[in-house]
Amino acid sequence: MTTQIPALDDAARTQIKDIVCDILELELDEVSDTSLFKEEHDADSLRTIEILASLERTFGITLKQSELSRMVNLAGVHAVVAEAKAQ
Amino acid sequence: MTGARHRVVVTGLGVVTSIGTGVDAFAAGLRAGRSGAKPITAFDTTGFAYSNACEITDFDPEAWITGQSPDDLGRAAQFAVAASRMAVADAGLTEEQVRAVRSLVSVGTTDGESRDLDHLTGLQVSGGDDVLDAVVARRVWPGRLSAGIVRELALEDVETVTVPTACAAGNYAVGYGYDAISSGDVEMALCGGADALCRKTFTGFYRLGTIAPDVCRPFDADRQGILTGEGAGILLMESLESALARGARIYAEVLGYGLSCDASHPVAPDRDSIARCITAAHRNAGIEAADVDFISAHGTGTRANDVTEVGAIRQVFGEELPRTVSIKSMIGHTMGAASALASAACALALRDGFIPPTVNHRTTDPECAVDCVPNEAVEAELKVVQNNGLAFGGNNAVLVLGRWDTAA
Repeated sequence: MTTQIPALDDAARTQIKDIVCDILELELDEVSDTSLFKEEHDADSLRTIEILASLERTFGITLKQSELSRMVNLAGVHAVVAEAKAQ
Repeated sequence: MTGARHRVVVTGLGVVTSIGTGVDAFAAGLRAGRSGAKPITAFDTTGFAYSNACEITDFDPEAWITGQSPDDLGRAAQFAVAASRMAVADAGLTEEQVRAVRSLVSVGTTDGESRDLDHLTGLQVSGGDDVLDAVVARRVWPGRLSAGIVRELALEDVETVTVPTACAAGNYAVGYGYDAISSGDVEMALCGGADALCRKTFTGFYRLGTIAPDVCRPFDADRQGILTGEGAGILLMESLESALARGARIYAEVLGYGLSCDASHPVAPDRDSIARCITAAHRNAGIEAADVDFISAHGTGTRANDVTEVGAIRQVFGEELPRTVSIKSMIGHTMGAASALASAACALALRDGFIPPTVNHRTTDPECAVDCVPNEAVEAELKVVQNNGLAFGGNNAVLVLGRWDTAA
């Protein structure tokens, strides 16, 4: 695909961070764009599915389960959500 | 307690499944490789991209439940009570004869009456607490799965247990019956498992990405997951002395079982723990791996289960694996009933000399390469069969059944 995917706005990024922190039971300042959910924040596969489900509801998008392999940190989630919103 | 332990045999089977109710219909369905898969009617599936399950659409509770009002029982308990009545009759017993001996009723389940909880939750969301249905609320208690059987048969000298070890619960319940009879605590036992389709479980598995869009294909390279199912399997077991004294027809001998509880992950199976469970079952049954003529696998048809389970089997059996089949390809994943129905299938296989097929099969996945008896049952002289039941939370139970030979 050569089409440019529009970047997420700040409101969407804030929503995503709120969702992730809520599900992983973290304070907002504990998570950076590149800190790893599993290795650094103790996420397991059920939590990551919960994140996926919550993103689908919040943004009205559908995410393939295979995208979980990219959703390892906030930056990865931003990319996946941006692509899904562009479709 | 000292003294000789009693040998334990299966003399009656009661089954309610999506490929047939009653032992003859079930046996015919297994031999023919029938499939119970169809679109769900049990609940509204709007919003799901796909929604097949192995639902039972011809169950008539009033045909079986006579000792109480069927409305006092949830669907899972109705299945369990119906299957128990069938098992007693199939064993050539009257309820008076069961009532006259010390007995055990143990029923395994994953969801209890979650179908009723779905209904009550719907009422509560739409109308608040005041609109809850008292009759339905009363029957939610999962103890009714076993208590309903006791009430139906008016048993008095009986231990009543509902075993909540999820998808291995049927084998747990049968294993407990084996212990109770072999130790001399009881003379007869009605043991097995029951579950009813419910929205909660379908949705949970769907969300985990483990529901197959069309059918369940265990060990297949293109497998996409489970289909949820429902039903009940109840085994009437008794001591060998009791069976011989009354000239009962014997399906199989329960040789032993093994358990392992690893709790290492909420949903992912642990290969080493499953291997330990299989080894424990072989030791308890007094057999070697090489004695096993076929394995009735847990075989859910998910990516994770089949590779891990076959890996564990290989760990115990080495490179020469016995044929390994999954009846979930036909009846779906009946949760707490699954290993009980598979036990019934194994007992029928031993009696009739055949191995049930794994249907819907196209290409075996090299990562879980077993001879899964694809699509067509095979005739086979069988002596020892192994039935795997594996559950979330690392609750594993493996049962070993053997052919009963009068000459043995």
